[in-house]
Amino acid sequence: MIRRLFFYVGLVVLLAAVLFPLYWVVATSFKLPGDAFAIPPVWLFEPTLDNFRTILANKTFLRAFANSFVISLSASALAVAIGAIAAYGITQQDAEKRRGQEKFILSLRIAPALVFVIPVYYFAVRLGALNQHWLLIAVYAFINVPFAISLLITFFDDIPRELRDAARVDGAREFSIFWRIYLPAARGGVVATLILCVLFTWNEFFVALTLSGRNTQTLPVSITSFLTFQGIQWGALTAAATLIMLPMLVLGMLVQGQIVRGMTLGSVKG
Amino acid sequence: MFYQPIVMVLSITSLVLTLYVVWLSLRDLSLMRAGRDTFVGLDNYIRFFADPRGLWALWRTVLFTVLATSIEVVLGLAIVLFLDRNFALKRIVRTLLLVPIIMTPVVVGLTWRFIFDPASGMANYLLSRLGIGAMDWLGSPQVALFSVLIADVWQWTPFVILLSMAALDSAPSDPLDAARVDGAREWQVTWYVLLPMLRRAIAIVALIRAIDSIKAFDLFYIMTRGGPALSTETLNFYGYVVAFTNFEISYAITVALILTIFTNVALLAMYGVLFPRKGERT
Repeated sequence: MIRRLFFYVGLVVLLAAVLFPLYWVVATSFKLPGDAFAIPPVWLFEPTLDNFRTILANKTFLRAFANSFVISLSASALAVAIGAIAAYGITQQDAEKRRGQEKFILSLRIAPALVFVIPVYYFAVRLGALNQHWLLIAVYAFINVPFAISLLITFFDDIPRELRDAARVDGAREFSIFWRIYLPAARGGVVATLILCVLFTWNEFFVALTLSGRNTQTLPVSITSFLTFQGIQWGALTAAATLIMLPMLVLGMLVQGQIVRGMTLGSVKG
Repeated sequence: MFYQPIVMVLSITSLVLTLYVVWLSLRDLSLMRAGRDTFVGLDNYIRFFADPRGLWALWRTVLFTVLATSIEVVLGLAIVLFLDRNFALKRIVRTLLLVPIIMTPVVVGLTWRFIFDPASGMANYLLSRLGIGAMDWLGSPQVALFSVLIADVWQWTPFVILLSMAALDSAPSDPLDAARVDGAREWQVTWYVLLPMLRRAIAIVALIRAIDSIKAFDLFYIMTRGGPALSTETLNFYGYVVAFTNFEISYAITVALILTIFTNVALLAMYGVLFPRKGERT
């Protein structure tokens, strides 16, 4: 009995530690300035939507929202399309060649973003592309492709080879095997990969910080502008933060089983 | 085959980019004097090893990576062992553990900055309740790196927990029962049977955490911007400053390449330690 009690106390402490920061941001976003900075903290307060009104009237923020939406969706769709074809190609090769290619793809994940952001930045400056959406879309698609390939390979590997061999005996072409057998069979995996790409792109900060211009700022970059005004506007800032992470928390819950698998590229199946 | 062009284009793009990056690191390109760069050979690399700011940044990267990885893995495993029983709401607990992982890193940084606020932050309030004086979490050069570390541990320990839980679920329970029948104590079962079974999963999670901590950027940018007095400037951050504040393109690329080489060496070393025998492919 005491052991059980001890266990549940421990569980509550753990969950409190994990969830407190999230609660604290969301709670602060509904507080009036007086309550937000009160010490000792105010646990019961009269909620207000003032902060959300401020942030939703902010044109820069709304534009960043649209940018994030367009860029993460199109870059992810592009990455999954390219990734699916490449992943199919890699799964069809003999084991030795395949191992080499998988290693190469992993090494792309290890290189810090800084390595390729600098030359891209240099080119973009010369081409005058720093303020155009296609630059960020292309760069994010490029970043997401290795990830999409590695993850899709793990889903394609789950498909029994007999399906493919049977289709080949029936005279199906390579492309129609991919299009009519592999893609439908791995539909769930493809959708999960797409969602994970959107999640990473939406949350990504470093590339957005270095390669976005005034018109292409995404949400994580735009929110940092609240840090530089006189002091920090915590009210508006926490409201913005709440709006940024809410869609991702929902998407994350949708693919929760795949997240660990995705982040370990399938090396441990979650 | 229809997929070969795509694989080719990807390989060629990566190869060209790599060669171009190496080529740039052998020149002295700077946006401050565009169009007047010359070939300088290995000067940039020599410069780095005589650059105290860069070497300090490298040391901080090592410190941060070692601390973050080991704390997250040990703490995560402890929590996994603690949670290793059947209880109601286990599924919900797992779902809730995802929250820090999918929370936007910039928001995580802002949140912790809010909590560490010296005057009105939650951290100092807790300390005052415990009768301890206020700390300058992000403003003191001795403390700031560890404050960022706390935020990193908060965000990524759940990842270690979820991954190890997944591995634990797929591990067979027969060896554990056999050990218990043979009269092993509970801690012996854990230490000699359970943990060795999780070895591969632990190794993978440690590698992933190490790779990501070496490259950590978001939390540093939001919480401290490398300050105070450069006390939280890691190598990745230093490279960013060289490239986007000083606009010394070539030197910044050199820093980034040194970071890449260093990462690979560290990974190979870790790989050797974690998979001592004929290692399995991760």
